[in-house]
Amino acid sequence: MKELLLEIFGWLGYLERPSVLLQLGLVIAVVLLTRRAQRRRWLQPLPQLAYAPVGILTLALGCGVLAGLGLPQGLASLLGLQWLGWYGISLLPKRLHQLESRLLRPAYLVGAALLLIREVDNFNDIAVIQLGELLGVAVSFGKLFNSLVVIYLVLVGCGPPAAGVAWLVQRSLGLSDGSRKAMELMLRYLVVGLGLVGVAMHLGINSTALIAVAGGLSVGLGFGVKEVFSNFVSGIWLLFEGSVRPGEVLMLDGDACEVRQLGLRATLLWRNRDNAELLIPNQTFFTTAATTYTASDRMRRSQVSISAAYHHDPAEVIALLEATALEVARVLPQPPPKALLLNYGDFAINYALRFWIANPMDNVGICSEVNQAIWQAFRQGGIEIPFPQQVQYPMAWPPEDHQSKQVNSI
Amino acid sequence: MGQIVPSMAPPPAPQQPRRRRDRLLRLLGGLALLVPLGGCTLGRELPNVVYLAIGANKDQLINAELKQEFQDQLLKVGARYRQIHPDTHFQFGVYPEDQMVEVMRQRSRSGLAPDLLLVNGDTALRLRQAGLVDPFPIRKDQLAIFNEEELGRLRSPDGRLAGLPLLVQTQLGCFNRQRLSEPPATLQELLNATANGHPMGLSLDLYYLFWIVGSTGALPAIDKAVLGQPLNPADRQALTGWLAWLQNASNQQRVTFFPDQPTAEAEFKAGRLDWIPCRSIVLRQLRRVMGNTLGVAPLPDGEGHRASPVNRLRVLALGRSSSAAGRRRALAFSFYSVNPLTQRTLTLGSSTVLPANRFVTVPVQSSQVLAAMVAAANQGLQANSLVTLVHTNDPRIPRLQSLLTQLVFGEASPNGATTELIRILQARP
Repeated sequence: MKELLLEIFGWLGYLERPSVLLQLGLVIAVVLLTRRAQRRRWLQPLPQLAYAPVGILTLALGCGVLAGLGLPQGLASLLGLQWLGWYGISLLPKRLHQLESRLLRPAYLVGAALLLIREVDNFNDIAVIQLGELLGVAVSFGKLFNSLVVIYLVLVGCGPPAAGVAWLVQRSLGLSDGSRKAMELMLRYLVVGLGLVGVAMHLGINSTALIAVAGGLSVGLGFGVKEVFSNFVSGIWLLFEGSVRPGEVLMLDGDACEVRQLGLRATLLWRNRDNAELLIPNQTFFTTAATTYTASDRMRRSQVSISAAYHHDPAEVIALLEATALEVARVLPQPPPKALLLNYGDFAINYALRFWIANPMDNVGICSEVNQAIWQAFRQGGIEIPFPQQVQYPMAWPPEDHQSKQVNSI
Repeated sequence: MGQIVPSMAPPPAPQQPRRRRDRLLRLLGGLALLVPLGGCTLGRELPNVVYLAIGANKDQLINAELKQEFQDQLLKVGARYRQIHPDTHFQFGVYPEDQMVEVMRQRSRSGLAPDLLLVNGDTALRLRQAGLVDPFPIRKDQLAIFNEEELGRLRSPDGRLAGLPLLVQTQLGCFNRQRLSEPPATLQELLNATANGHPMGLSLDLYYLFWIVGSTGALPAIDKAVLGQPLNPADRQALTGWLAWLQNASNQQRVTFFPDQPTAEAEFKAGRLDWIPCRSIVLRQLRRVMGNTLGVAPLPDGEGHRASPVNRLRVLALGRSSSAAGRRRALAFSFYSVNPLTQRTLTLGSSTVLPANRFVTVPVQSSQVLAAMVAAANQGLQANSLVTLVHTNDPRIPRLQSLLTQLVFGEASPNGATTELIRILQARP
C-alpha cells in the first residue's frame, strides 16, 4: 500500500514542468469560464446545453494553438475528449437513466482515470504493486482492481440478463409472473455467487483457506451478525418455498399487501390503502404465521354484511342479494355468489353476501361497488334497511316526584 | 388600523448563508487546486523526482519479481546518490522495449515523458531518430571512459550520442552443476553431452540462436549479406553449415527447442534440462531457485570459430519533456551512474551485468561468473557491427524467425533455407 501511495505521490513531480502546468491551466480556465458563462448566461441566445460544447470547442482551439507553437498538448486534448464524452453521456435519453447512473458513468470515470494514469505511468507497473496478503495469498493492485470491477459488473449488470432468461423460461414453460420473478432473483443470486467464486479464484485464494474463513465466520455469525444472516437465509428459503415471492399478496395487520421485492435482508411490500411501501425483515415471514391469497390461486372470497327489516321474506332478500352481486362487473360468476341469513338482530335480520373476486388487492373497491349495488337493488325492490330508533323521556329525580311533576305540567 | 403582516413571504434568510457557504467552498476548492500549481514555482513543495522508464526485453516478463529486481538495483545506486543529492526520489516504470517508441511518442505529446530512459542501445537510436530523446550532452574527455566501438553503436546519423552507455548484459551458457560436471566448451562437446544423456534446451528465439552463427563460422557471411555484398560459395557453405547444425540439433533426442526463452528457463529451473543459453540478467532468478547447482560458462565455440552472442548494451537516454531542474537531475544521475565507483558497485552487487566504463576492472579471478561474463563480452564484440545494422525491431527479424522455425521442424532443408536466408537479409527495409 505504501508503495502505491508513493507511486501516486510521485506523479506530483510532473507539476514542476511548465508544459504540464500550461495544459492544466488551460483546461481549468476553460472549464471555470464555461461554468461561469453558463450560470450568468453570457451567451443569451444559446440554450443551457450548448455551453459545454462551446467550452470544449474553445479548449480544442487552445490545444490547436499549443500544437501550432510546438508545445505539448496531449494532456489537455485528452482531458477535453473526456469532457466531450461526459457531455455525450448526459445527452442519453432519460429512460436510460438507471443504466447511465449505475453502469455508464462509473465505467466512464474508471476508463478516464485509467487513460490519465497511462499518461504518467505504466498500468502493468502499477498492477504488480503488492498491497498485502489475503488468506496467505499476495494481492496485487491489478488483481484487486480487476476483482472489484468484476464484482461491480456482476452486481449491477446481472439484472437484465437474468430477467431475460427468466422471461424466456416463463414463455416456454408457461410459468406464473411470481415464478418468473422468483426465478429471476435466483438467477441473480446464482450469477453473483459464481462471480464471487470466480473473483476468489482469480485472486488465487485456495479453498482450504475459504473453508477456514467460513468456519470462523459461522462462529461470528452465531454471535454478531446473526440477524443479518438469519434474514438472508430466510429470504433464500422463502424464495425456494415460493410462499413469499414478488407478486404474492399477503395480509399484514389486516391489510392486503403485494410483495414487490424479496431482498437479501428485507422484503418490500406495497400497501394499496395508502400506497405505502413496507420493509419487513425476511425472518418475520419465516417465524410468524402469515395469510396469503396467492399460494395456490389469486382468487379471494370476499364478504359484505347487510341487514333487512323483519317484514321481508328472507328467501326474497337472499335471492335479490345473489342476483345483485352477479351484476357487479368485478365479481366472478364462478364460484357463484352466496347470500346467507346470519342471525336475527334487535331491529333487523342480518344477512351476509359472499362472493369471489380475481384480484385480492381490489377487495375494498369491489366491496364498495357491491354495497352500492345492494342499496340500489333494495330501493328498487322496496326492501327496507332498518336502523335502531330510540325514544327519550325526561325524568325527575327522585323517581317519586316524577308523577307529581307530570301532573303539574298538565 | 391593524398592522399588515406579510404572511406567506418565503424566508430569505437561510438562502444567503448557504449561497455564501457554497461560494466559500468553491473558493477553497479552487485554492486547493492552485496551491500545488503555485507552489511548484518555489520548487520546495514538490518532490525532486527523477522519472525513469526502463525497457524490458521481450524475454522478460513484466511482473512483481522483475519490478522488485529493478527496484533493488535502483535503491542501491539511489541510496548512495542521495548522499550527494539529498531529497531526490526515483520513480520508474517498466515498458516493453518494442513498445518504447510508441509510449514515448504519446507521453512526449503530453509533456509527460520520463527524464531518463534505460533502454537497449538500438532502442535509444530509434528513439533519437524519431526525435523522442535529446542527444546526450557529453564532453570528449568524458567519452574516453567508454569503448569506442560501443559508442559507435550509439551514434545517430548526425554523429551525436543517443544515450550514455551504462551496462552490458551478456549471453552465457547456464548449466546444472550436479548433472554436468564440465560445461560444453564447443558445439561438438554440446552434442556429445546430449548423446551421453544430458538434456539440453534451446529457444527458437533468433536472439538466443545467433551465438551459433559465430561458432559455425557463418558470421562473416551474414555480415556480407546484411551489407548487400555478393556472397561466394564459401559464404553460402558457411551459412548452410549453421542451418544444418540447427536442424541436426533438433533431430537429437535430448535437444529440445522451446518456443520462447522463458519456457526454456522454467524447464531449466525445474531441473528437466542440464544446459541452456541464458542471459546474465536472469542469473539472479536462477540462483534464487537453483542455489549452488547453477553453473555459468561462456557459450560453446566452434572448431576455430568463436561464438557470437548478442550482448545488450544498456544506455541512459534523455527524455524531451523534462523541466530545467529535471534535466539537471537526470544528467547528474547519469554521470554519477557511470563513475567507476558506481559501476563497480553495480557489477559486484549484482554479478549480472558488466560495467560500460572500460576503466573499471572486473575481478575475474575471484568470480567464475564474472569471468564467464567478461569472456562472453569479448565473444560478442565480433557481432557489434551486425547489431548496429539490424535493430531489434527490424522487419527482417520476424521473417528470419519464421524461416528458422520451419527449418527446425524439418519443413525446410538447410540448402533451401540458405537461399531464403540470403534473400531476407539482403532485402533492406
